[in-house]
Amino acid sequence: MKRIAIDPITRLEGHGKIMIFLNDEGSVDNAFLQIPELRGFEKFVEGLPVEEIPRVVTRICGV
Amino acid sequence: MKLKIGIYWGAACGGCDVAILDTHEKLLEIADKADIYLWPLATDFKYSDVRAMKDGSLDAVLFSGGVRNSENEEIAKLLREKAKVMIALGACAQGGGVPGLANMYTREEIMRRAYIESESTDNKEGVVPLERSTAGPGYDLELPRLYNTVKTLSQVVDVDYTIPGCPPASLQIYSALGLVWDDMLPKKGAVIGAGDRALCEECPRKKSEKTITHIYRTHEKLPDAETCFLEQGFICLGVATRAGCGSRCIKSWTPCRGCYGPLDDVADQGIKMLGALASVIEPKEEAAINAVLDSVVDPLRTFHRFSLASSILRRRKE
Repeated sequence: MKRIAIDPITRLEGHGKIMIFLNDEGSVDNAFLQIPELRGFEKFVEGLPVEEIPRVVTRICGV
Repeated sequence: MKLKIGIYWGAACGGCDVAILDTHEKLLEIADKADIYLWPLATDFKYSDVRAMKDGSLDAVLFSGGVRNSENEEIAKLLREKAKVMIALGACAQGGGVPGLANMYTREEIMRRAYIESESTDNKEGVVPLERSTAGPGYDLELPRLYNTVKTLSQVVDVDYTIPGCPPASLQIYSALGLVWDDMLPKKGAVIGAGDRALCEECPRKKSEKTITHIYRTHEKLPDAETCFLEQGFICLGVATRAGCGSRCIKSWTPCRGCYGPLDDVADQGIKMLGALASVIEPKEEAAINAVLDSVVDPLRTFHRFSLASSILRRRKE
């Protein structure tokens, strides 16, 4: 099966790629959006003093 | 001749890229001096385009973000081959930045919290991203490997210069780019687009001899408008942090958390700050000193907010 990778997806904040699978006729058989990124804010803000939260979670997205 | 530059992000938030855009009309001047050959936030180039370039064909690459996974490292190494000058842009590339705080945990703890345990997640089967997976016959998919330890850019490739800050001040990025096209870059390894003294030297607040008897959290006491935060008992990293931000947080009544990184020849910004703090605590008996230090509620994320990945601690011991 032929594969087309759109890597990276551009003009957005964050990381992503699209994998497209073509069938024997060359038509799109299936496509997947993949997010190849995780930083872990969900974990490392645990237990952070509440007054410090605004200056940390603003670094989730700077756009 | 027009320069060729690339702009890329690893484990980042896009704030450094927006700081470049925030040069406003000077962006036209940047576009006049340099053609951009990669910039995922703003232009449509693919990794395959970069792979097709000759080595050394980019005059400069600005790399923001830390190195969090195998893709970040692969692209960092690819861009290093293509770049004559590799510039670490921002606190994450320099010291791991806020995402470097993940080094307090293991990869598995982070994956479990993010994909299984978080309150907004419905994932009873416990599905987590895999490096190799299949979505059915013929649909084989690959993802980068999430590292156990967040690395800084200089821990994976040779870095020529660093522009610090979270985010770097826009005009500082512009002036640093000016050093590239005016061929005025200093000695390799230098920090550019920032000051060479501590933030305290440019801070507008009044400073006198510091004697600290108690550490306050910002909700426990209203600071006065004129006096040094540290003298009032609020932890402020200005003494251990490079100047150049324009005292942005200070002018917003908020003590510094150190995003501009350490001064030259300081191996560990957080330890430097801890040393500075210890030297101004007023009680001189051990028990009383410990009582003051015990009032720092979250020392690791206070002193190494932006620099854990580059510190001598680097990560939680395994």
